[in-house]
Amino acid sequence: MSAEALDTGLAPERESGVFARAGVLRRLARDRVAALAALLLAAIVLAALFAPWVAPYDPYFTDLTKVMQPPSAAHWFGTDNTGRDIFSRVLYGTRNTLMLGLIGVIVGGFLGGVLGILAAYYRRLDGWIMRLVDIMLAFPAILIGLAVAAIFGAGLTAVVIALVVATVPDVARVARGAAIGVMGQEFMEAGRAVGVSDTELIWRYLTLNCISTIFVFLTLRFGQIILIGAALGFLGMGAQPPTAELGMMAAQGRDFLFMAPHIATIPSCVIFVIVLAANLLGDALRDVLDPRLQT
Amino acid sequence: MIRFALGMSLALFVAGPVSAQTLQLMKGIDAPHYDAQRTTWGPTSDIVNMFQDTLVALDWDGRTPVPYLARSWTISEDGRTYTFRLRDDVSFCSGKKFTAEDVVYSFKRLKDPAIKAPYAWRAGDIKELRATDPYTVEYELNEPYSELLLQLTMFTNVIHNKASVEALGKDYGIKGADGTGPWCFESWQPRTEIVLKRHDAYRWGPSLYKNKGPVKFEKLSMKIMPEESSRVAAMMAGQFDMTHQFPPAFIAQAKAAPMLTVTAAKPNFQLLYFGFKTTRPMVEDRRVREAMSIAINRAEIAKGVLLGNADPAFTIVDSDALDHDPGTKGIIKEDIERAKALLDEAGWKMGSDGVREKDGIKLQPKIYYTQAGNTPRVAEAIQGYLRRIGIHWQLQPWDSTIAPSKMAEQDYEIWSVTVPYLSAGDLMNIYFDSRNIPTPNRMNWKDAETDDWLKQGRSALTDTDRAKYYALVQQKVMRQHLWIPVLNINMDQVANKKITDARPHMIYQNTFYKGLDVSRQK
Repeated sequence: MSAEALDTGLAPERESGVFARAGVLRRLARDRVAALAALLLAAIVLAALFAPWVAPYDPYFTDLTKVMQPPSAAHWFGTDNTGRDIFSRVLYGTRNTLMLGLIGVIVGGFLGGVLGILAAYYRRLDGWIMRLVDIMLAFPAILIGLAVAAIFGAGLTAVVIALVVATVPDVARVARGAAIGVMGQEFMEAGRAVGVSDTELIWRYLTLNCISTIFVFLTLRFGQIILIGAALGFLGMGAQPPTAELGMMAAQGRDFLFMAPHIATIPSCVIFVIVLAANLLGDALRDVLDPRLQT
Repeated sequence: MIRFALGMSLALFVAGPVSAQTLQLMKGIDAPHYDAQRTTWGPTSDIVNMFQDTLVALDWDGRTPVPYLARSWTISEDGRTYTFRLRDDVSFCSGKKFTAEDVVYSFKRLKDPAIKAPYAWRAGDIKELRATDPYTVEYELNEPYSELLLQLTMFTNVIHNKASVEALGKDYGIKGADGTGPWCFESWQPRTEIVLKRHDAYRWGPSLYKNKGPVKFEKLSMKIMPEESSRVAAMMAGQFDMTHQFPPAFIAQAKAAPMLTVTAAKPNFQLLYFGFKTTRPMVEDRRVREAMSIAINRAEIAKGVLLGNADPAFTIVDSDALDHDPGTKGIIKEDIERAKALLDEAGWKMGSDGVREKDGIKLQPKIYYTQAGNTPRVAEAIQGYLRRIGIHWQLQPWDSTIAPSKMAEQDYEIWSVTVPYLSAGDLMNIYFDSRNIPTPNRMNWKDAETDDWLKQGRSALTDTDRAKYYALVQQKVMRQHLWIPVLNINMDQVANKKITDARPHMIYQNTFYKGLDVSRQK
């Protein structure tokens, strides 16, 4: 029997199969809260994606004769302390905030996933990798962001590094747990018995069987990553002016909280809505995708 | 509101009840120590000026030295020897009589390399100090120093008691320090509170005060409150009598508050500027520097960003400061079209992305500054103006602990700080003398003519000569557009309405100075 023949018979279900399973979308749509969260998130993502066409003003154009104006027909969200249109800046800021969250989740998820799966597959590496993960867990993301910013200067690089470091250890632990479960399955033994290479076993047998678990975890993690990114922006470690970023925008408004509360509260509310929507959607996805929760 | 409420709670917790006999002050930042000779640190200066004295005091005009511990002085014809006649009725808080030996000791200590006094230069190039009798000091210089008297008003030149310095050793300025000031050092809890008590024997207040002493309170407490909202809340709640560090963003509220009085120190020489590192290719061309300086609207920045708590600065030296050159007034003429023309002329052509470029390099200089105070907001406003002429400022704020070392490096084009100063000569000598490269002469401005004029100004024997040479320096550095002077920042003193006769002084960001006239209504 050839390895190819075994693939079709014993190899685990593919990624496409996971998502196609039992009408994921249909079940997701049945959950009203999840559907609402998905719609909200989709609207925010679309608005952010098409910001250059949607924004009524240049988000970087300052007009010091119009500083701290309250919301009006001309400026829906008012103007900030340098007279910039807050609505336009929120659109661009959302774009950057989402981008940071996605990069953090994708890069951190990839690195964490690789580490976790390698730790599960190569048992001699397990101790080393997990101790490395423990060390990473010992440093709060905010502290790492501050340290990186202190050395290399504040900027998006500092935030990305902090977000990746914040994501890697948790994902590594989840991936390792899932992979150890898969390692005990018979098809892994069978694969080894017929001489399937390590690369093939890790990717096709192990990774594809763990990916839904990792994906569910990352969707739940996305909201937290957005929040950490915004917090670093708030502390001045993230995007630098004139780049718009929601955390930084909230920070810029805090000095004017008594005079013009909208400068700080509007970007803060947008962060709140994004995180809430991401968390609700993550919960719903977990319910739908996690086979253990399916009856 | 939550922030305000938290601030209020913290303020109430920290401040405690007000004692009728204790003057309650507060500020945002504490000092590392209170030994004036070992620091340039502003937060040291306010307390030091309360418990220690200088030979001469600075009058309200910010430019006239008046007798203090020295009741009179004469200057030799060659300008190298100052003979100070000292008061004979002065004593330290410890009870020791003040004599000429204390003056000699203090300046010898200042010049001692072991002290590493960063502001020793302010006392001039001392050749020798002699106590010719118990109340006469001959102060001999290697070369004339035309601003010596003005510089002697600075807190770094206060008189110390040798016995106190030696008794306390490394703890001098930490666990205590003796002085002849109107207040005596009682205790210091770092980052929390410093307490001074009345110097009962004090009767030698300088002429700028009606009250010659003693002060009208038994004690003075200076509490440290780093959080801006807490300082606002505490003042609003009447927990403190005065502060000179009220957040500028809330000055309008303080002015509107029925229980508070806001008084600006006038004159006040405190310039927020952006300096160009002239050795960097992007800003080596004078036309590029001028374009940036004239493309902004200073009045709008003062009103829109500083909410009126600053005045536009069109000259490096304030027009009220000693030796300001009125001829520098028309050099900066804000004109955005001319700014564009200058950049075109300098070969910087507009790129498709709205940023100018030349020889494949984008005109996007790096700007270093401290992530605190007004500078970040001002930098952002200027960044907005410069986008309109095709310049993209890459803003790079640094934490205040790192900023000084980063600004001493060479891989950026522009930096910003806010600098307090006493006179044109003070500012010019610190920043434009080539001996001060790489810092504080971060421009790397090495110009023989400038150096020569500074030397001539320093050693001038007449006021006219000194003003002439410092005017030449001002003309040159302004025509070269080495700095973008942006704002003269106001220094506001916020006091409870019950406090009277608290006229704010301008000296080195320290409005309280001696506080001799301050009293509280019953």
